[in-house]
Amino acid sequence: MAHVAPEIFNGLILGAFFAVVAIGLSLIMNLTGTINLAHGSFMTLAGYLAFAMVSAGTNWWFALAAAPILTVIVGVAVERTLIRPLYRRDPVYSLLLTFGLSLIAEEVYRLIWGTNGVPFSPPPSLQGSVSLGFTDFPAFRLFIAGALLVIIVALVVFLQRTRLGLRLRAAVQDSEMIAALGTNTQLLYMLNFGLGILIAGVAGVLAAGLLGLNPQSGNALLMPAFVTVIVGGMGSLLGAVAGGLLIGVAISVTTLFLPAFSEIVMYILMAVILLIRPRGLFGEEGIFG
Amino acid sequence: MRMSNRAGLIAALVLLVLLILTPQIAPLLHLAISVCTEVLLFAIAAMAVNLLIGYTGVLPFGNAAFFGLGAYGAGLTIQFWHVKFFSSIGLGVLAALIGAFLIGPFLLRRRGIYFSLLFIAFGQVFYFLAYRFTDITGGEDGMNFARPVIEGTSFSPPDGSFYYMMLGFFVLIGILFWLLVRSPFGRSLIAIKENETRARYLGLDTDRFIFVALLISAAIEGLAGACYGLSIMFADPLQLDWHQSGNFVLMTILGGSGTIFGPFIGSLIFVIGSDILSSAIPWWQIPLGALFVVCVLGFPKGILGTILDALEKRRGGFGYEARDTLHGTVASEREIQP
Repeated sequence: MAHVAPEIFNGLILGAFFAVVAIGLSLIMNLTGTINLAHGSFMTLAGYLAFAMVSAGTNWWFALAAAPILTVIVGVAVERTLIRPLYRRDPVYSLLLTFGLSLIAEEVYRLIWGTNGVPFSPPPSLQGSVSLGFTDFPAFRLFIAGALLVIIVALVVFLQRTRLGLRLRAAVQDSEMIAALGTNTQLLYMLNFGLGILIAGVAGVLAAGLLGLNPQSGNALLMPAFVTVIVGGMGSLLGAVAGGLLIGVAISVTTLFLPAFSEIVMYILMAVILLIRPRGLFGEEGIFG
Repeated sequence: MRMSNRAGLIAALVLLVLLILTPQIAPLLHLAISVCTEVLLFAIAAMAVNLLIGYTGVLPFGNAAFFGLGAYGAGLTIQFWHVKFFSSIGLGVLAALIGAFLIGPFLLRRRGIYFSLLFIAFGQVFYFLAYRFTDITGGEDGMNFARPVIEGTSFSPPDGSFYYMMLGFFVLIGILFWLLVRSPFGRSLIAIKENETRARYLGLDTDRFIFVALLISAAIEGLAGACYGLSIMFADPLQLDWHQSGNFVLMTILGGSGTIFGPFIGSLIFVIGSDILSSAIPWWQIPLGALFVVCVLGFPKGILGTILDALEKRRGGFGYEARDTLHGTVASEREIQP
């Protein structure tokens, strides 16, 4: 069993990525009814921006903070100009638009940074390994686990304990009512979209160091994140975390024993969970909390 | 739809004549006949999407799963069982139907964007099956197979005759589609699209109607996929991928959803456009993506929808029945959310 434990830990990290991406997707989906198919492209963008900064000689830590912020600026500009006109329309339009954007983004990354991936290693201070008693573990993975945990906790605190978080949750319930009560919902939509992209951006930089960076690397996390949203229960924050971790571990363990099934396993899991719990693990009615 | 029946009939006949003459016209425009076949087959696939988007009001962003199942259904049975021409198409349709039977019950639990989310996710199952089971499907490289001979003959149609056979399928599906959306069943679907809650209160078992619509759509999609497989004699996982679904949805919206000829117009522009672009520039995905953006923001009713609207305005009419349901209010999506 000694070799299973580290795989489970790796699975938890992978799962935490799924959870974080899924939370960003759900934030945007629950408030505005937009399935953001360009979510993965924003992750890739943050990764490439960080790579460009580090290549230009800046500190990795600076890039970890600056790249997601730049990505948010791009994301908010896209939301304001292209996605916003579609909020009151059928969801097919925002799906097609974000799909088109992801096609454009992928080709742009390919033109600038090449078809093949670029090497983007973590900073020297995170390259060693740490002894966990039963096994040695790469420091970078531990750092990622910690960072993703911080993101999730910070988000829960934000949504549950701040006035803005309260407004966001209220707007998911009834955005017309909260607009009538004097909240600027357009601003709220923008902030919410920016928040989703910010999380995606940080995850994108971290993922670039761990899972590699190529024009499609962010999109590779998109489908597992969709499955995470479904498994966890649409609209549930806790569900996204539980679902993501469950899927991550399932994939890691399956890769160890039955590599041929490593991609299929999450769909099997999804089907089984939907049969037992039609609304997913923690499914409620479109409420974050 | 809002065209008077006579105008629609004339348009259909003109189109039919043009399509019959296409093998003579295409070389003058430097178009390969296989590209023309592709236009017809993608138009059939987009019609399947149109049945769901334009007439039932559910968003099938995973429909390529059925298209790909058709292609693999035909390809694998040719490869391993050496079935003949029409049998392989029939088995492709069957494969798509089985796929729809398996995932349909999961999709029907939800409506609105959640339906699409489930559809995308469950559709990807088939992509990964084809991708992973390399021994049978050839995995990422796809599988080559020969176009089989027609039952009872030793004749395997070359590209030219194949085009006319596909034109036959296209006309057949077009007529069936036209009859379907005018039947009581089709009217019920439109009722569901306009207001599912109301349809349910009127006594329609809406889940069952949507399931049947999904099966019909999957069968049409499977037919298009099987024929496409036979056309290019190749099946690969990308035919099952959600990117392909996105393309079919774009064709439907681009041409004009909820109209009979819309999917064909969308397919025509998409296929010929990407054929020209992809041979002209290496970064053709950028104008393709831009087409998505322009279509969504500039022509939300599609080309045919916009033209018909303008004609209608000049005549001073009220527009057609299924009008504007895609651009309706927020209320409709909120209501249908589970």
